[in-house]
Amino acid sequence: MSFSAISELSPGKVYALHNTFELNGHVSAYPQSARGYAASNCYLLKEDDGAILLDTGYAVHAPSILGQLETLIDRDTPLSVFPLRLNEFMSVCNVMDVARNFNVVECYSNVPEIESWIEFETVDRDAPDHPNVATTLLERGDFCQVSIGKNHVIDVLNAPIRLIATRWIYEPESKILFSSDMFSHVWHDYEEGPWVLDGLDNVTDEAFVRSFLLNTRYWWIEGATIDSARRNVAKVFEDYDIETLAPGYGTILRGRDQVERQFTVLDNVLRDLDRSKIKPQYVPRGLER
Amino acid sequence: MSTLPKPNPLPREIAPGVFWLGDCLEQHYKGKLYHSYNAAFLVCGSEASMLVETGHPKDFPEIERQMKDILSEPGRAPLKYLFITHQETPHSGGLGRVFERWPGITVHGDVSDYHLAFPQHADRLFSMEVGDSIDLGDRKFVAVEPVIRDLRTSLWAFDTGSKTLFPGDGFAYSHYHWDGHCGLVAEEAVSLDLEDVLAVFAERALFWTTFTDMNLYVDKMEALMAELGVEVVAPTHGLPVLDLKKTMPKVRDGLIAEGDKVPANDPAEKFRRPEELRIH
Repeated sequence: MSFSAISELSPGKVYALHNTFELNGHVSAYPQSARGYAASNCYLLKEDDGAILLDTGYAVHAPSILGQLETLIDRDTPLSVFPLRLNEFMSVCNVMDVARNFNVVECYSNVPEIESWIEFETVDRDAPDHPNVATTLLERGDFCQVSIGKNHVIDVLNAPIRLIATRWIYEPESKILFSSDMFSHVWHDYEEGPWVLDGLDNVTDEAFVRSFLLNTRYWWIEGATIDSARRNVAKVFEDYDIETLAPGYGTILRGRDQVERQFTVLDNVLRDLDRSKIKPQYVPRGLER
Repeated sequence: MSTLPKPNPLPREIAPGVFWLGDCLEQHYKGKLYHSYNAAFLVCGSEASMLVETGHPKDFPEIERQMKDILSEPGRAPLKYLFITHQETPHSGGLGRVFERWPGITVHGDVSDYHLAFPQHADRLFSMEVGDSIDLGDRKFVAVEPVIRDLRTSLWAFDTGSKTLFPGDGFAYSHYHWDGHCGLVAEEAVSLDLEDVLAVFAERALFWTTFTDMNLYVDKMEALMAELGVEVVAPTHGLPVLDLKKTMPKVRDGLIAEGDKVPANDPAEKFRRPEELRIH
C-alpha cells in the first residue's frame, strides 16, 4: 500500500494526484542511496468543457489514480492525456487504464500512433474492452501550445535540460510550471509528506542539488559544455511568472521566493559544472558524488 | 502508408546462437523518413535461453512469433531469462506480455522501476551488477559496464559464447530504408553514413551526448571491448556490427562528431582521431 492524496493547487482548476513509493535503491529517478519516500505526481487541469491529465503514474498506483480522477471529473468529461516523458513508465503506464474508464479524446505525442507505444499489457488489440486512443501530434520545435477544453491555452516547452525527451508545461492562470523530472529533489522520511510545501524547504542548497543531479539523470554534466542549456533554463524563469514548481516526482514547491531560490541554485550548480570551470571525466555506473 | 519491409527480414542469426529479433520503426527527421530498430535478441545456450530486451511494444506480436519459431527448433533450450538494458519503454515495455506468454521466466539486470510498472510480477525481478553472470550452459551472460547510458540504471551485457556485446543504446543509429538497409548488418549497409544516422538518435534520445566530450566515452568503450574480447556488437537500435575493424572507426567518428568537440578550458586539446583502431 502507498499513501495517496489530492492537492488542490488552484481552486477548481488544477489538482495534483500524489501517490507515494518507497526509495529503496530501485527507483531510477532518485539516487541509489536515497531512502525514505517520494510521491509520483500526476496533474489534472480542468475547465468546464474538458480536462487534461499530465502523466498517468505507475501501474502500481492505477486503482488509486482512477479513484482520484473519479472524484474530480465525470466519466464523460472530454479528457486529454499528456505524457511528459513518452518513454518512461511513470508518464505512460496508465494511459490505457485511464482510457478504459474515462472519456479520453486524445493523447498528445511527438510520435504517430501513440497507442502502439503505450499498450504494455493487452496482447489482443481486438479485445472488446480495448480502447482506441487518438493521437494528437505535437508541433516540432521547442515550443507549442495546447488547450484545456476549447479556450484555455497552456504552453508546452521542450525541457531546456533533460536526459531523455521531456516536456515542461506552463499554465498562466495558476502560474504553475510543471517541470517533470526537474526540481524533484525534495523527498521525505514519511509517506505522508508533506507533498506540497509553501515557503522554503530545508534541503535545497548548491551542494545538495549538485549531488542530486550528478547521482540521478545528469552524471554527464560535470565538465560538459552546458552553458547554452543553462541559459535556456534561466530564460524559462525570465519569461514566465512562476509561483509554483510542480515536478512529476517529490514535493511541489510553492511561493515566489521558493521558485526564485530553486532557479538560482540550479543556475549556480550548472555554472559551476560547466566545462569552463571543471574538467570532464568518465563517470562509472554506480559512482555517487 | 507504412514503409516497414514485407516480408520482415528478421529474425537473423548474427552469431552462433544469437538471433536478432524485431521489426523496423519509422523515424521522421529533417524531412527524411529513416528506419531504426528497437530490437530484441535471443541468446540460446545448451541449458537455457535468454531474451535480451523486450522490443518496442508495437513489435511484441512479431517478436513473440520469431521467438516461438526459433525456440521450437530441435535442441533449443527453453527460455528461462530476460535481461533488459534499461527502463525506457521501447526497451522494456513488452515485459508484462513476456511474463504472460512465458510464465516461468525471470527478469535480470538493474530491475529498478519494474516493481512499480509491473507490480504483479515483482517477485520475478532479480538485480544484477557489473560482473554478475548467468549460466546458460555452454555460455555465460555477463553484466558489464554501461559506458553510454540512457538512465543511471542502464546496464550492458556480454555473451561469452559468441563474444557478443549488448550495448543497449550505446550504438544508437537509424538506417536507410530507401537503400535497402533493413535487416542488414552494418558492414552490408554500404551506403550507411554513420555520422548522419547517429545524429538522428543524438537529437531524439541521447541529447546529453551533444553536450559532452565523447572522446572520454568512446575511449572507455573501446577499452571495455578490448578487455572483453568483443567480436560482435548487437545494439538495440543500430544495425549489428560483425566486423569491428571496419565499422568501429566510423562509429567512433560519428559519436565524437555528435559530441562537443573542443573543450573550452583546454585550447590545446583538439578533436582527436584515432591513428589506429584500438579494437583487437
